[in-house]
Amino acid sequence: MEIERSWLQELSQILRADQLLTGAAARRGYDCDAYTVDRFPPVAVALPESTAEVAELVRWCNVRKVPFTARGAGTGLSGGSLPALGGLVISTKKLTKILEIDLPNRQMLAQTGIANKKLSDAVKAAGLHFAPDPSSQTVATLGGNIAENAGGPHTLKYGVTSSHVVAITMVTPEGDVVELGSRVPGGPGLDLAGLVIGSEGTLGIATEAWVTLTPLPNHVITALVAFGTVRAATESVAEIIASGTIPAALEIMDRGILGALKAAFGLEYPAGTEALLLVECDGDSAEIVKAEMATVDAICRAQNCLNLETAEDEAARQKLWTARKKGVGAMGRLAPSIVTHDGVIPRSKLPEMLDTVYEVASRHQIGVANIFHAGDGNLHPCFYFDDRDADQVRRVVEAGEEIMRRCIELGGSITGEHGIGVEKLDLMGLMFSPADLEFQAQAKRIFNDGALCNPCKVLPNQKSCVEHKSRWRGVAW
Amino acid sequence: MKDLSALTSQCIRCGFCLEACPTFTETASELESPRGRIYLVRSAMDGKLNWQDDVKPHLDRCLGCRACETACPSGVEYGNILELARDAIDGERPNRPRQALLKVATDPGLMRLQAKLSTFLPGNRIPNFVSRFVSGVDAEVDKPQIPSDWHIAPLLAKEVPPVRGEVYLLEGCAMRVLFPRVHHATRRLLRRIGYQVREVKAGCCGAMHAHNGGLDEARERARDLIQAMTDDLPIIVNSAGCGSTMKEYGELLGPEGASFAKRVRDISEFFLAEGLVKKLATSPGLTNRATYHDACHLAHGQKIWEAPRKLLGAVPGLDLVPLGEADTCCGSAGIYNVTQPKLARQLLDRKMRHIEATRAEIVVLGNPGCHAWIAQGCYESEQKPVVLHLAEMLEASFIGLDALAQ
Repeated sequence: MEIERSWLQELSQILRADQLLTGAAARRGYDCDAYTVDRFPPVAVALPESTAEVAELVRWCNVRKVPFTARGAGTGLSGGSLPALGGLVISTKKLTKILEIDLPNRQMLAQTGIANKKLSDAVKAAGLHFAPDPSSQTVATLGGNIAENAGGPHTLKYGVTSSHVVAITMVTPEGDVVELGSRVPGGPGLDLAGLVIGSEGTLGIATEAWVTLTPLPNHVITALVAFGTVRAATESVAEIIASGTIPAALEIMDRGILGALKAAFGLEYPAGTEALLLVECDGDSAEIVKAEMATVDAICRAQNCLNLETAEDEAARQKLWTARKKGVGAMGRLAPSIVTHDGVIPRSKLPEMLDTVYEVASRHQIGVANIFHAGDGNLHPCFYFDDRDADQVRRVVEAGEEIMRRCIELGGSITGEHGIGVEKLDLMGLMFSPADLEFQAQAKRIFNDGALCNPCKVLPNQKSCVEHKSRWRGVAW
Repeated sequence: MKDLSALTSQCIRCGFCLEACPTFTETASELESPRGRIYLVRSAMDGKLNWQDDVKPHLDRCLGCRACETACPSGVEYGNILELARDAIDGERPNRPRQALLKVATDPGLMRLQAKLSTFLPGNRIPNFVSRFVSGVDAEVDKPQIPSDWHIAPLLAKEVPPVRGEVYLLEGCAMRVLFPRVHHATRRLLRRIGYQVREVKAGCCGAMHAHNGGLDEARERARDLIQAMTDDLPIIVNSAGCGSTMKEYGELLGPEGASFAKRVRDISEFFLAEGLVKKLATSPGLTNRATYHDACHLAHGQKIWEAPRKLLGAVPGLDLVPLGEADTCCGSAGIYNVTQPKLARQLLDRKMRHIEATRAEIVVLGNPGCHAWIAQGCYESEQKPVVLHLAEMLEASFIGLDALAQ
């Protein structure tokens, strides 16, 4: 506690009392994000209100050699905002303003603690939106989206965060404020914004960003299709893509998710449903959208779907989306904890990969349900378990690693949009050679020589992390 | 009642509740969010945190508005978690100031007396010595005011259809003292659609106690109410907080409570189902601009958003404009504006900004707590909108606004 008192005194030069959280409750409350397998408490939590305050805090951390980790809404699924070495958590949740809306150029400047959906809400009346739409978009912050290069169901057509963030104000790991990128497409110089987006908060703390705004489509048709087998659903996806149609979203939910939805909300689907496929087609021409949906319809019926329901008006469409939007959360009805994995595989390997997921889960005796962005082969197997039981935690970690290995064997990747965080550190070696990893480490060292900025993330075997890891890895409640 | 450990374990920490939580959006602190509070409760149960020092301050700052339940994809029963955790904390160390406050707020006799006595004290606010005793800081909330009697000619037999059924009306505690006209208007509206109130002696429903760590006391009051309202008559409630708790008597008392709970109807549900819309169409109506604020325990507690809006939409000529963040808590939250004056004030200011943006002349709502608190905000505002309960507003469609003021 001695450390804390001297900290408090020094930090009170930078922040008001209500901007600093300390004590047992704060240490507990900020010891993990939505990925609960690994936890470690910070010493304190700072809630800065400006870029200047963030910079001052970071400079203070450098002087005192205190590790620091940025945190937005804490909805991350790989432990990206876990304060792996303790230290200071720097929250962006008091940085939630929209600073400028430039409608003619379809761009917006916002602070990074704002929730993703608030960006779209602010320009909805102008017929625009911020396209990346992670399932957590009502809470997940712009900063977190930048850190993880977040995607979402509609990224199949519209692209991930990096396609929609053009310029970033960032506090460097040493506490300098720099501007990255430019509001003009293809601006001069190195694309450092591109490097920072997806670096999981290890290269600095983004405090403001210019994002691009995308017109809302004039016509949207959503379909929810029930299939008697998962394979029929995945085959349909492969055929839809092969037909040249690019739907705005192509999402599959398996029986495990349907069971959770039934337990949580009493939602019922046709008897014998083993998988639901959600397809959304959008565009400016009603005829083209209708034609696309007709193709989808024909393909699904040829695959003997059990039921196909479509909706055009907003309320009815939202109802069809319920299964997708609430699917993962509903799993809280099945067990106290879930871990959602994030493997990517070539679309053609989806059926095979799913068989592997079910087999691995059953061998490790863990419940599993699958919800995934089928269109881009981004699989989200969700294990449900009790994280107060150390043995279950261990089995979940092992099963996850086995599934990730298989993704790589099938020519895929260990993450599509959730990031490496601390969760998949050990698997980086499977994707990259030691030389490749060292090259990444060199790039990181240009930004982050002191290893104080979000330590122990993304790149394995960092200094002082290896011996420290046993303190946070798989800590049961 | 359900087990606190089982209830907390339904939270998978997805964080979808954060932006729905007014205290999180005001403070930006995870510890003032539903996810954070559930984690703290769970940690205290596991012996990793101390109930009084680590957990209680954060539960004290919770409004109990249950907006998080609406946002939660896992169906976590946050309201139950809060009640059980507060009960556990108070069981360990009773909160005397809060108990005293509850006693005054839920005893009509004491409340009347206190309101009369307080007229001798200077200023609009409740006295600071009281506020400091309860909250540690100066008061934000005005002294309760008892309105003068409403003089209105009774409905004539030719104005109303024959009686087709009887109902009970919960008169409760605070509502009967502070807003007697709401009950009066409710009775008139019921009569207009052929229902008559069977009069009984019954008081507080126990909602305030249940929300504030006094589950045993809540059970006692619930039992009294159940005994007073026998038969199978519908029980009409015009106070959202009470209706929400009464619909959950099953949680509180088991099967006996559950069968009572099935009979409880908020007035908006009952009026909509029993044909008041048709009746309203024949009323003279009003040409004012109005907006509707969702009481938390109506929206998030009872999942009623549409019914009041449909009824207001049926008032001929009324210009009903949508309110921004309509179902975000105003900060009243039972006794919250007395126990947590600062946060309550921040939330009232936020509510008033949205109300002023609508330029509405009338703010309609359905709960006494919000009524008094938003009325204070409106009185302080330059635009001076008027606050009316839904029942008053709908009755005004028949008799006009001036008649309300008689």
